[in-house]
Amino acid sequence: MTALRVLAKDLKLHARDARFLATLSLFSLSLVLILSVAFGPLFRDPAREASATLWAALFFAGVLGLTRALDLESESGGGEALRLTGADPFSVYAGKAMANLLLMGALWVLLLPCASVFFDIGSLRVFPALAGVAVLALIGYAAWGTLFAALARGLKARELLLSILLFPTLLPLWIGAVKLTHSLWAEGSIDAVRDWVKVMVVVDVLGIALAAWLYETIQEAGE
Amino acid sequence: MTLAARDIEKRFDHRVVLRKASLELYPGEILLLRGPNGSGKTTLARILATTLAADAGSLTLDGRPVRQILGDSRRAIGFSGHRPLLYLGLTPIENLEFFGRLAGISDARARAARLLARFGLEEFLGHPMEHFSRGMLQRVALSRALLPEPRVLILDEPYAGLDDQGSETLNALLLEARGRGATALIVSHDREHMVPGLTRTCALRDGAVEVSA
Repeated sequence: MTALRVLAKDLKLHARDARFLATLSLFSLSLVLILSVAFGPLFRDPAREASATLWAALFFAGVLGLTRALDLESESGGGEALRLTGADPFSVYAGKAMANLLLMGALWVLLLPCASVFFDIGSLRVFPALAGVAVLALIGYAAWGTLFAALARGLKARELLLSILLFPTLLPLWIGAVKLTHSLWAEGSIDAVRDWVKVMVVVDVLGIALAAWLYETIQEAGE
Repeated sequence: MTLAARDIEKRFDHRVVLRKASLELYPGEILLLRGPNGSGKTTLARILATTLAADAGSLTLDGRPVRQILGDSRRAIGFSGHRPLLYLGLTPIENLEFFGRLAGISDARARAARLLARFGLEEFLGHPMEHFSRGMLQRVALSRALLPEPRVLILDEPYAGLDDQGSETLNALLLEARGRGATALIVSHDREHMVPGLTRTCALRDGAVEVSA
């Protein structure tokens, strides 16, 4: 229940922050638009270019979401009060990670049709499989991102540290997401790149396991 | 429930703030901790409330090290500090209900509504707090600290921003808490507000606690 309460609280705070939602949407849409113009107008391999663009935009825009979630905890000490309730730290982590996952999922829903239109690719037939790839990639992103955000809490250069930690760690996840999305858009299946699913599952599980082990220590060490 | 800090030391960079500071809070007492600005009152309060770790020394709750029973200790201690420790994007009732439920209070919403009403905030229960005044935020912050009816209350400058009515409400709530057997540590440098039912007054000097009355 703790995780669900934290999730509901985070979603409520995000939903009420129209300026943040507008910034996040415009930033990610701009990235897709700029990259589509850079690759175009005649695309050599639209499926590859579109998948790389989609996941680059998602991963970069995701840092904005993680940073905003971090600010919500620290700006008036809400996160400190949360710790003082004595709630189970991993449940708190799980709630925050789920909120980040849903935020990224919403962003994916926004960007996918834009990438399809701008690069003139995609079909509804592969949508369920694309959604599966997104779940796999975004679980890892939220798991690692929430953990690293806790680590960067309270630092002046937290956005920088978050990016420095996050992008190298998530490189296998990003490559996997791009390859699987490309394969689905180009060939309609993931048969040729199926092994990347295993890599992504390993990254996801590692992120969650590391959080279960370290989150409480990181939270307490921040003070 | 006795909260005891012994030989607490804390430094920030090279500045020593607390030097062998010791303080025991016994059930049913209201203790005032005074000291000039920068004497380490807030640091000691935050260490007692477990939001800040000491560099050395021990902190125990009924004889057990607080760090070994951190969740239980935090549920037993209510803390209000210089910052509101609230989510400003939520309303007062949403904040208190959220924190209350996480602390395991089943009737958190009803209890929160009663507490906020006592602080005169019944009209503002459903208003996001981004535009609240300092005094209104302080009332909500104190309500959050008092909501779980903690056995130990640590209130750092609780009268800051409160008007006379707010101060009277806080004093009444402190006496009620003492009546339940709770202990309260009031940290203040303000001589204007008379804390009711004081059992001891302490002062921080040169990083150590002196019992002055």
